Amino acid sequence: MTVLAQARGATRRFGAFTAVSAVDLAVARGEVVGLLGGNGAGKTTLIRMLLGLLRPNGGEIRLLGGPPSRAARRRVGYVPQTLGLYAGLTVAENWAFTTAAFGGPRAPLPERVAPWSRELVGGLSLGEQRQVAFAVVLSRQPELLVLDEPTSGVGPLGSARLWEDIRDAADRGAGVLVTTHNLEEARQCDRLVVMAGGRVAASGTAEDIIAAAGTAAAGRADLEEAFVAIVTKQAGATGRAGTDPVGPGSAAG
Amino acid sequence: MWAMVAKEFRELRRDRRTVAMMIVLPVLLLVVFGYAANFKVSDIPVVAVGPGASQAASLLRAPTFQVTETDAAGTEATARARLRDGQDVVAVVTGGSRPLVLMDGTQLFSVQTAEAALGRLARPPGVAAPRVRVLYNPDLTTSWVMVPGIAGMILVFIGTLITSLGVVRERQSGTLEQLAVMPLRAWDVIAGKIAPYLLLAAVDMVFIIAIGMGVFHVPFTGNVGVFAVGAALFLLVTTGMGVLISTVSQNQGQAIQLAFMTLLPQVLLSGLIFPVSAMAAGVRWISYLLPLTYFIEISRGVMLKSAPVSALWEPIGLLAVLAVVVLGLAIVRFRRDLAPSVRASGERPRTPEGASA
Repeated sequence: MTVLAQARGATRRFGAFTAVSAVDLAVARGEVVGLLGGNGAGKTTLIRMLLGLLRPNGGEIRLLGGPPSRAARRRVGYVPQTLGLYAGLTVAENWAFTTAAFGGPRAPLPERVAPWSRELVGGLSLGEQRQVAFAVVLSRQPELLVLDEPTSGVGPLGSARLWEDIRDAADRGAGVLVTTHNLEEARQCDRLVVMAGGRVAASGTAEDIIAAAGTAAAGRADLEEAFVAIVTKQAGATGRAGTDPVGPGSAAG
Repeated sequence: MWAMVAKEFRELRRDRRTVAMMIVLPVLLLVVFGYAANFKVSDIPVVAVGPGASQAASLLRAPTFQVTETDAAGTEATARARLRDGQDVVAVVTGGSRPLVLMDGTQLFSVQTAEAALGRLARPPGVAAPRVRVLYNPDLTTSWVMVPGIAGMILVFIGTLITSLGVVRERQSGTLEQLAVMPLRAWDVIAGKIAPYLLLAAVDMVFIIAIGMGVFHVPFTGNVGVFAVGAALFLLVTTGMGVLISTVSQNQGQAIQLAFMTLLPQVLLSGLIFPVSAMAAGVRWISYLLPLTYFIEISRGVMLKSAPVSALWEPIGLLAVLAVVVLGLAIVRFRRDLAPSVRASGERPRTPEGASA
């Protein structure tokens, strides 16, 4: 199993505040790893460290076999929560810019978003914008996909389509790291990592998480119940803010 | 209502930049500009040439005049060259039946002061009244002197403000983070970002100069190439300042505030309105840090005095140094935005997502 991205004991502090503390995480080829956590859990900081946009204060980060680098990022597809599209450009213009920036050959616009080619991105619905951002990233066939809240603000149909894309990418051999607040969607991941208070509070399959929370014994075999129990327990242990388990659609931690 | 007032005060207390602008800045501006705002020129640099140079020099007293050189072997050509090259503002040519006083008409206030002082001068018996000739701007037309400077001022505004807004817009919309994960270097992003603004500013420059020549009849007597080199360097500095401002601004409002804070000193301290030589020494050094100061020297020199590149190497060289410094700082700061791995660990991330982390 080829590991594409790995954090070993990764720690990141901002002054006196520790956003991420001794986190271990690995994303292998062909698997979809879901990163769960409330606001301020440290998810986005961890992603930024994995991408090499933040240097860890402790531990080690490996991206595609080496320390994160510009060359490695060329093989990564990243869709931030803000999507990274230029609202004042058309879909085709955004596509042309990204293709040129990554130094790829001139390719036709992906079929799915071709009907909007002349539309300004700012004029599309959020769901359509997310489809465009996905299409742009997926067209490069990255080895690792990093998706920050990919279905935030998207309707059920759009979400289903995006998850189809995620699964297709993984089936083609890409590793996928996806953050989400939506615990129903999280079940579609091969593996879940629950973060709370900057630490990994639980990891494994959805069933592993539920078992670890001990909520099933109380007759509540629900991932959401398990998640809340784990995060609440972690908050009690660390006594730290940023373990708020709630907040669909809000900024990722 | 009191709840609203209290709320405003609380918000204001945490908005240090606005508080600084409202309290510190006016005091600072009053002190600095109070010393800078001076139309009364002293120490006008004078060269005296010809056989009677020493005698002429002895008549031109401080504080109005400051004799920089007495050259008994010098001629009218020597004197004209020194005025063209900006070494002196007044030149006294002796040796003829009457002394000839040449003045640099691009230095409006200095010439007016010098003319008044010459009129009051007590001539020794037997010395004929001098002939006065104002060069480059014989009628002392204000627009001839102002237009080349105003062109620069407009481009400071456009170059700095518009560029800074363009980069801040990337940060606010979240696209800066996307740029960070692209295989682009900080320099690629900065060059790509400022190139269109640079081109537009250059087109603007052509329009402004053309309008100045067409509407205000300002002459363009010098070499277009020399002007173009100076203008290109000046525009590089102003757009670089825009990028630099954007790296310390979180939003467009802050960028506008900072851009205005750089614009105001340039208008008042660059020599556009008040002669640099008339400013108090304590604030004059600020003028020498401002790109507009050097652009004004170049534009007036080329347009009005046909100054060759050899006469303008100093302002051109200093603009080049400023361009390197400003763009260098902009790249260093911008690299921290693009790949914050080198950022000091005490700073919180600035992206919307990261802010909550």
